Amino acid sequence: MLDVERIRRDFPILCRQVHGKPLVFLDSAASSQKPLQVLAAMEETYRQCYANVHRGVYTLSEEATCSYEEARDKVASFINARAREEIIFTRNTTESINLVAYTWGRIHIGPGDRILLTEMEHHSNIVPWQLLAQEKGAELVYLPITDEGFLDLDRLDDLLDERVKLVAFTMMSNVLGTIIPVKEIVEKAHQVGAIALVDGAQAVPHMPVDVQDLGCDFLAFSGHKMCGPTGIGVLYGREELLEEMPPFLGGGDMIRRVELDHSTWNDLPWKFEAGTPAIVEGIGLGAAVDYLTEIGMEAIAAHEQEVVAYAMERLSALPGLKIVGPPAEHRGGVIAFTFRNIHPHDLAHLLDLEGIAVRAGHHCAQPLHRRLGLVATTRASFYLYNTSEEADRLAEALEKVARIVGK
Amino acid sequence: MSDLYKEHILDHYANPRNWGRLDSPDIAADADDPSCGDQVHLEIDLDSDGRVAQVAFEGEGCIISMASTSLFTEYIKGKTIAELEAISEEDVLRVLDAPVGSGRRRCALTPLRALQAGLRKYRRRAQGDD
Repeated sequence: MLDVERIRRDFPILCRQVHGKPLVFLDSAASSQKPLQVLAAMEETYRQCYANVHRGVYTLSEEATCSYEEARDKVASFINARAREEIIFTRNTTESINLVAYTWGRIHIGPGDRILLTEMEHHSNIVPWQLLAQEKGAELVYLPITDEGFLDLDRLDDLLDERVKLVAFTMMSNVLGTIIPVKEIVEKAHQVGAIALVDGAQAVPHMPVDVQDLGCDFLAFSGHKMCGPTGIGVLYGREELLEEMPPFLGGGDMIRRVELDHSTWNDLPWKFEAGTPAIVEGIGLGAAVDYLTEIGMEAIAAHEQEVVAYAMERLSALPGLKIVGPPAEHRGGVIAFTFRNIHPHDLAHLLDLEGIAVRAGHHCAQPLHRRLGLVATTRASFYLYNTSEEADRLAEALEKVARIVGK
Repeated sequence: MSDLYKEHILDHYANPRNWGRLDSPDIAADADDPSCGDQVHLEIDLDSDGRVAQVAFEGEGCIISMASTSLFTEYIKGKTIAELEAISEEDVLRVLDAPVGSGRRRCALTPLRALQAGLRKYRRRAQGDD
């Protein structure tokens, strides 16, 4: 059991009021709030030991380098990577996926090859592959979803053949909340010789993730959704793959030797980190990993499961409210829904006036919404600091909205 | 709950004025926003003096976009082409008479985008006729 009251005290923003009401923040799937521990680590760096990293021979630079590289070690152990060389710092999940598309994809995808995605992907796990497929004459294939919001795994064997070179899929849908059986899909991908990339943006912040156990070849995730700052993300890649991949961006730090007409590359992981990195953000992510690890990812997942099950029960009791996606036991902390015929933008707006922050729209998953026959949904998402009382506040506010709009 | 969702806004949303289609409109155009699904189809008939004689619209979307379009159809009746072309974003917000913040401005301005698209088509056709 989490001591949520104590956790909430770590997040100063949760004390504020919005439109005269206590803030109920239900948009962590878009970006989470930050605990004091992360803010303090970042401020401490700027106040005490800020300097550019790598190659500095003075104390400040050595200290900054040490903290920044220590953050990499923390991330590596957080997802149980075999080696720190397998952790590439990027800006976010989107950049991590693009990195794979532009480097691994460029040398491994050719005309007639197939990339297998799923119907529940976020745009960031669709568009980079479209760009690659268009350039290479490759083909995108989509694993369908069932009407209940699960992946239609019965179709997987049909779609997986030796033409498929890459399978890229989310570990948890940012709309349906569905938790995906990653291991099973990775194993089947490997059986036909395909590489498996997992979009961990929604999963890594919310549940234990072990890349060795999952067996995936790449895992992409963002710092800002897991209590860390914006501007720092992670690409995990199996070392053998990273070694043979060409660099992504060219510039300082990623080179060993630069001649006038060619260069040689730095070792992993720096080969993929051109230019001055997000130093303080990296250190902030390290602090976020410490914070989450101390609380325990198992406990966080269990808490979210409990709050979401309660919230789904409360919400589905409201007349005219329809939740998309599977039952609570198959989902993470995300509930997307429609309510009567009220447009999600109106709903989000009216809830904001009650102090409740939810997201409205297509949540960067237009193909999925088209599949569901919806233009937009309203999404409430929960994290370690949310409570069942906040689910009550949401349900009560929705009742109030229904009274006002009444259509 | 809010000044934005005032009585007259909810009324125009629930009972949109000038709903429907015209037989052979002089001006017709759509505005849509794929990101939130707001869609408006606006049609205008001009009389012999070139003033707006009849307006009609159909659409689907949020309360603000629908109410704003309904109010807008009332507002443009009797206006000349030149007057229609002169309608500004601020005019539309004044007609709506509700405090839209920056987040909902785009919804409120949906009918103006439809009108401007219609006027562009109308001008192109008029030039083609010359």
